[in-house]
Amino acid sequence: MSITDKNDDAVNEFNQYVKPVSLWADAWRRLRRNRMAVLSLWVVGFYILIALSAPLLQSAGILHSYTEQIIDHQNLRPSFRPSGELVIELLEARILQLEENLASREKEEGSSYNMATGFDFAPAADIVFDDDVDGGEEPLAAEEEPEEDETNYSPTYADSVVEELERSKSEVEALRNAIHSDPQHSKVYILGTDDLGRDMLARAIYGGRISIMIGIVGTLTAVLIGILIGSISGYVGGATDNFLMRFVDIMYSLPYMLIVIIIMSIAGNKGRGSIIILFIAIALISWLTIARVVRGQIISLKNSEFVEAARSMGASTPRIIFRHLLPNTLGVIIVFSTLLMPSFIMQESFLSFLGLGVSAPQASWGTLVSEGVRGMELRAWQLFVPAISMTVFLFCMNFLGDGLRDALDPQSKNRG
Amino acid sequence: MARFFIRRLLSLVPTLFIIVTLSFFLIRVAPGGPFNRERDLPEAILQNILARYHMDEPLLKQYTRYMGDVIRWDFGPSLRYRDRSVNEMIDTTLPVSAALGLTALSLAVILGVNVGILSALKQNKWPDYAAMSVAVVGISIPLFVVGPILQLIFAIWLKWLPPGQWISDHGLKALILPAVTLSFPYFAYIARLSRASVLEVLRSDYIRTARAKGLKESVVIVKHVIKGALLPVVTFLGPALSGIVTGSVVVESVFVVPGLGRPFVQAAINRDYTLIMGEVIVYALLLIMANLVVDLIYGLLDPRISYK
Repeated sequence: MSITDKNDDAVNEFNQYVKPVSLWADAWRRLRRNRMAVLSLWVVGFYILIALSAPLLQSAGILHSYTEQIIDHQNLRPSFRPSGELVIELLEARILQLEENLASREKEEGSSYNMATGFDFAPAADIVFDDDVDGGEEPLAAEEEPEEDETNYSPTYADSVVEELERSKSEVEALRNAIHSDPQHSKVYILGTDDLGRDMLARAIYGGRISIMIGIVGTLTAVLIGILIGSISGYVGGATDNFLMRFVDIMYSLPYMLIVIIIMSIAGNKGRGSIIILFIAIALISWLTIARVVRGQIISLKNSEFVEAARSMGASTPRIIFRHLLPNTLGVIIVFSTLLMPSFIMQESFLSFLGLGVSAPQASWGTLVSEGVRGMELRAWQLFVPAISMTVFLFCMNFLGDGLRDALDPQSKNRG
Repeated sequence: MARFFIRRLLSLVPTLFIIVTLSFFLIRVAPGGPFNRERDLPEAILQNILARYHMDEPLLKQYTRYMGDVIRWDFGPSLRYRDRSVNEMIDTTLPVSAALGLTALSLAVILGVNVGILSALKQNKWPDYAAMSVAVVGISIPLFVVGPILQLIFAIWLKWLPPGQWISDHGLKALILPAVTLSFPYFAYIARLSRASVLEVLRSDYIRTARAKGLKESVVIVKHVIKGALLPVVTFLGPALSGIVTGSVVVESVFVVPGLGRPFVQAAINRDYTLIMGEVIVYALLLIMANLVVDLIYGLLDPRISYK
């Protein structure tokens, strides 16, 4: 029994046909008026496109590998110039510094010999060391002799400086010769490299892949579980509802992040498996809000006429829930999912930042930020590249979610 | 009111019971333990160690023993840090975390509410746009990005503030960066929330009545608008508190603050069972008590809500 071919033509008071405006068309119109939301939609689309096509870009040679470590290319700053030139520049700066060091040392030695070593602990170490020698220590102390011998200290230090100077100079020479023959040195790192010589751009993109994937999968799982539990609870009601909602209440009162941290500490750090466990741990508890929202919507709809009509035509409970009730709650669900996704990404990155999330060789934005923090004093780009790419994405997701909420639910009270 | 309070207090018991039980078994089900090192210990030594911590007993017996200890507020010795009990570690770190968390929360509430009210009163003018742009940024940037960036700018480049550590090392200045970082997202959320609710209250009938009576605008705002507009902010305090508690884990590790958070993460990585359990119980208690307090404040503010 179906009424699919019902007459949908609407007529206004002058008997003219009016094109019906569906909820979705209306919402789309409202969304398009919101400039920031449209911009965010484009940016999010761009991120997802890049994330999806990253392996293609890499095999096409546009993007560098995100795991390949080139020792020569450590800590290069963002630049459009080929890496070989940058490496030479770095080495030359080092040579200059060493030469200055040497020159100032010679000057100091000329004026006052005792001030030669700039180390605070040197005099104390000297005394202790002499005592040790007088006392006839074990060979262990003798082994340390060349390093801690104060009287020979500054000459050996100067020697080592000279040695490094020579090495750097020969490296520069070797590089100058190799720069045109070795294709490696013509690589361009637009966003610089990290402390293992890996391309930051590729790492940010691949980190984004992992983060966005976790966001999407987590959101889908949470939405599916939430819809199932929420609709059953709302539609069936009674003892089932009571039981499910008490369960949700108890889960709510658990300190969520702490439980996830425990789960990750138990199961994490086992290579690939950790991502799946991360999914489970995050999705396990995040369906609670969706379940509550769906339940509320369904309860408010289940006594309406269209449900009664469906029931009187003999529709089964699953049919009523999935064909009649859920499509009417879809707007709310979509809004919640767009706002849920950035929160998933944040939670995953939070765990990765603490070292409890995605484990190497994979990396998410959180991992990259925590790596960047380590060297941020000298190499700020290693922090800013992942941090900015992550923030822009989260920013746009939040704007998109707000825009969708305004578009789909114009009476929303918690607009801010 | 008193009855409601007691009932809520009693309802803490099952929640805590579930938390302790769940985490107890979760931790022990997993393979590997705190004494798994790279080098395997000789069997006899391992047995001795296990016996010392009662970990050779059947699981159920361990569980009842642990429950008995917890009721007496005794979390046992730490498994990794020898000679230190979990109670000691919690006693030394909890005040630090509490100071940080409370400062952050009050910063977030005071600044957030004021900025929210201001931008609602100046709706669609530049202070509104400026404040709300900052607020959206605050919601979108994760704590562990804000923290290092503030650290880089104010501690390393400008050298105005100490880059980390705590009051005992640097005086009250050490509190500024961690507290600002921790409060930023909640400040942002509270500002948005209070702006929205002030706007809504401004449109309501009782405000029109108050104005029609000829009350001064300042009186209308202070006596009528703000009181009505603060309710959603109070409801948000619960989630904000739990966010601040978990967020403090990150902030403490970024700014090297000797609070509860760092030993917790370390314990999670080291599988230090007793320390994890103790920390989870303390965190859970904090969260639950905070929610209870929020409920009570809510009842005091809104005369329509009565607790029977």
